[in-house]
Amino acid sequence: MIPFETQNSPSIITELLYRLKIKDIMTHPVRSADPTTRLREIQTTMRENKVSGVPIVEDDRLVGMISVDDIIRALDQGYIESPCGVHMSRKLVVLEDDMPVSMGLSHFEKYHFGRFPVINRDKELVGIVTSRDITSALLTEMNRALETLEAEINSQAAPVAAGEVKRVFVVRQFDYENAGRASTELKKLLQERGVSRKTQRNASVASYELEMNIVNHSLGGRMIYQFSADRVVIEASDRGPGIPDLAKAMTEGFSTANDWIRSLGFGAGMGLPNTKRVSDDFSIESTVGKGTTVKVTIVFETAPTPQEKPA
Amino acid sequence: MTFQQVLETVGGTVIVKGSRWDVQEIQHVMACSLMSDVLVTEEDDILLVTSLASDQTARTADMVGACGIVLMNDKTPQAELVALCRELDLPLMTSSLPAFECCWQLGNRLNGPATPKS
Repeated sequence: MIPFETQNSPSIITELLYRLKIKDIMTHPVRSADPTTRLREIQTTMRENKVSGVPIVEDDRLVGMISVDDIIRALDQGYIESPCGVHMSRKLVVLEDDMPVSMGLSHFEKYHFGRFPVINRDKELVGIVTSRDITSALLTEMNRALETLEAEINSQAAPVAAGEVKRVFVVRQFDYENAGRASTELKKLLQERGVSRKTQRNASVASYELEMNIVNHSLGGRMIYQFSADRVVIEASDRGPGIPDLAKAMTEGFSTANDWIRSLGFGAGMGLPNTKRVSDDFSIESTVGKGTTVKVTIVFETAPTPQEKPA
Repeated sequence: MTFQQVLETVGGTVIVKGSRWDVQEIQHVMACSLMSDVLVTEEDDILLVTSLASDQTARTADMVGACGIVLMNDKTPQAELVALCRELDLPLMTSSLPAFECCWQLGNRLNGPATPKS
């Protein structure tokens, strides 16, 4: 068992568990045999390659597994010279190559197998995953993530041009407890800068619409605020599922929100059009299966608008 | 119109008073329970009248620079909403009036009683 859980881990680990796919961490190509192969041969394959399980394949289809336990039993009961097809376990639990690693973790918790064969969409054997594969991949990725974080912290500490500040907030899918926090922080930063109320409103509204889009519609992502002397650039990026029809998404009133998102006061299909309306510059890129990035610029009003007095 | 006058008009209960209770002059009211619609307003210092009792009401109010919130329809504010109103210094009151009645009373107070068309 691997002591990771998806619920209470730091967000960077949760993010990894969902971002990494089984195909990223599996061992491949995989040593396999066919049902006519003698168990003795498989024993040799295991010893020579230091593996503890060999998938049995017939006509490109996975049909069984032989594990070290099966070999020991064969030696014990004297059928080590017979073909493996008779003695292999046919009850197979497999992983699919595009499943997230979190699914692999839960398989190891749920079933008592030391390894899982991996199949692709066409049900062909493409690899094998042991808990060791998951542990080492996670450690490597965590190391990389830490390096990125460290670099980010260092770049923030480095001297920047007057007035330039960068802030990054992680936004998680369906996390209504924290939804909007990044935008509230942005508003505070804008207030501290003393920009006009109109600028504050436009930037906050754009940010909030984009942040709520990440919470409501994406798998999670981040908000990045880049301040310079006369503007703030807001970048909202997520890691999927992507928008199939951008023109439709930009249409007022078009919404894919479900009833419970609507019950929270959102989902009127105004998010993206309204973001564009309040922004001085607006760009959106989206790839289905990869994610969406929206980048908007709000230029600070040169002079605060005087309070209009009623006539 | 002051917050005190709003309170009397809608027969409300104060939940969060905030520092602007006595000084804010309210000139615009927006009644809406869909936060997406509130986010298109271009007025400063609106009074937000709504029946959405979650903390997203305070977030939205803050984003558009609203000056306070009336929670109508006898809704009980969620604890997160109350906490956020305190943090953001946003006055919050509740009213048992239903939406139409609440807006009607506030409209009369703000603009004088409507005169029937002849």
